[in-house]
Amino acid sequence: MTGRIWAIALNTFREAVRIRVLYGILVLLLGANLMSFVLGSMAATDSARVTSDVGLAGISLFGSLTAIFLGVFLLYGEVQRRTIHTIVSKPIERWEFVVGKYFGMALVLSVLVGAFSLAMFGILILKDVAITSSIIKAILMSWCEVLVVAAIAIFFSSFSTPFLSGIFALALWVIGRITPDLEAATQAASPVIRTITKVTLYIVPDLHLFAVSGRTVDGAQVSVHSDFVSWGYVGLSSLHALGWIAGLLALAGVLFSRRDFG
Amino acid sequence: MVDGAVAAVIEVTDLKKTYLTPFARRRVEALRGVTFSVEEGQIFGFVGPNGAGKTTTIRTLMGLIRATSGTAKLLGHTIPSRAARQRVGFLPEAPYFYDYLTVPELLDLAGRLFGVPSALRKKRADELIERVGLARARSQSLKKFSKGMLQRAGLAQALMNDPELVVLDEPMSGLDPIGRKEVRDLIVSLREAGKTVFFSTHILSDVEAMTDRVAIIARGALQTTGTPAELVAKTILGVDVTVRLPADQELGDLAATAKNVRRSGEEISLVLPAAADVDAWIAQAHTIGAKIVQVSPRHETLEDLFLREIAAADRSAAATEGRT
Repeated sequence: MTGRIWAIALNTFREAVRIRVLYGILVLLLGANLMSFVLGSMAATDSARVTSDVGLAGISLFGSLTAIFLGVFLLYGEVQRRTIHTIVSKPIERWEFVVGKYFGMALVLSVLVGAFSLAMFGILILKDVAITSSIIKAILMSWCEVLVVAAIAIFFSSFSTPFLSGIFALALWVIGRITPDLEAATQAASPVIRTITKVTLYIVPDLHLFAVSGRTVDGAQVSVHSDFVSWGYVGLSSLHALGWIAGLLALAGVLFSRRDFG
Repeated sequence: MVDGAVAAVIEVTDLKKTYLTPFARRRVEALRGVTFSVEEGQIFGFVGPNGAGKTTTIRTLMGLIRATSGTAKLLGHTIPSRAARQRVGFLPEAPYFYDYLTVPELLDLAGRLFGVPSALRKKRADELIERVGLARARSQSLKKFSKGMLQRAGLAQALMNDPELVVLDEPMSGLDPIGRKEVRDLIVSLREAGKTVFFSTHILSDVEAMTDRVAIIARGALQTTGTPAELVAKTILGVDVTVRLPADQELGDLAATAKNVRRSGEEISLVLPAAADVDAWIAQAHTIGAKIVQVSPRHETLEDLFLREIAAADRSAAATEGRT
């Protein structure tokens, strides 16, 4: 089983690294780092703060958008180009194929997040700023977010077109990022709206968990620049991510298994 | 299994597949109760015009699409079966592969999916690349391959697991005459190695050249099945006769019972109807001084049979549509 999943993952990695758009994204990521350097230099106070804020936002934004892009195209492309005929006629279960595709994508995204983090570290070192555990924690949580977003995209791609999958995944990413704001905004609304919001928030991955800098966690203000979350929080949010990834991939596997490839 | 009986490698029973069109929700019956079996060690030709249901049947067997009803077994396993697919090699119709891979990389991927150990994977890939004639293109990406080369690469990946059953959907498609001959030879060599080959085609000469059994499918239903000899030997269409007669002499009444009478100098060729009394005709020809050069019964060819079966299926479908 692991051999088959690894074969698909490796092939997906090979496929993804040949997508030219990814190199465009890499340039954008490096551009964002450069921008963080320039903005940091222009800032009246605490240029290191601006550099790390822009850097972390870049990992989350570009990482998630890349995850959506890869997620909606890589699985659908197999069906569209009919390469799937050669693969699923081999002794591989459809869910293994979906998981393999996901792992291949996750590998690409991890390399991307890693490269961007290294670029950010380089700039922080240039500015003579210490790389704190808070920044490492924030990067790890952004990485988790990106991996959950990739699973969301794969899930939609298992039964829908890239256009619709992209729209759905993007919508879920946006909603997932603003869950506390949505909850707060509907506090004064009618019971119906409140119920709809509550149900929606239950079925949407809470991506806000992974981007808490500047917010309140358990009644305390947390910031990547001062008192940030504990390693325990990072561990729990990683488990939360793992749960969503496993659930979404399981659903994607079931839906993909029911499809005809005519 | 009874001693001495040959095992059925493929058993298809009353297989049906119905699609609903996306917007009109109209029912399209791609397969309408297909039943046949393929015995071990045979080359089985699955013949039909475009849209007959060949590819739908094959894709159902390989687990790419699900049958609406009916059953099918591959190597004794009810489909879809991973255990069966482990022992089957499959070449899809007009195969599409990852165009960024080279042939060795494609075969390595196929080998990994079949769970072939690393050393054997490399050895088998090298052998197959030689066997399908792609040795000189082994470092090229599949993107640069011609249709015929892709077909060869597809055949190689179908054999990576040293399968007991090889299912080929239009394997000669896109190949030039030499390529077709090579694929035919490859298929025959697979049978010689004890493998069963099930292939679809609409090229009848390929079927006549190498199959042990043939099934003709049209409009989603099986029309007939049997060995090529059984199928075409059933019917005599007429008797080809060639006689020699002096140039100033005519056949007279003898020509009245014949068709397609053609004369070239002293030689006259004609076709007697299947029901004609050939012996009496020859005896009468002798009386007018004709010398018999050749008498041979004209059997139905596979092409005649194919066209007849397709026409019958079309008439049947038209009658059904007329009633509804």
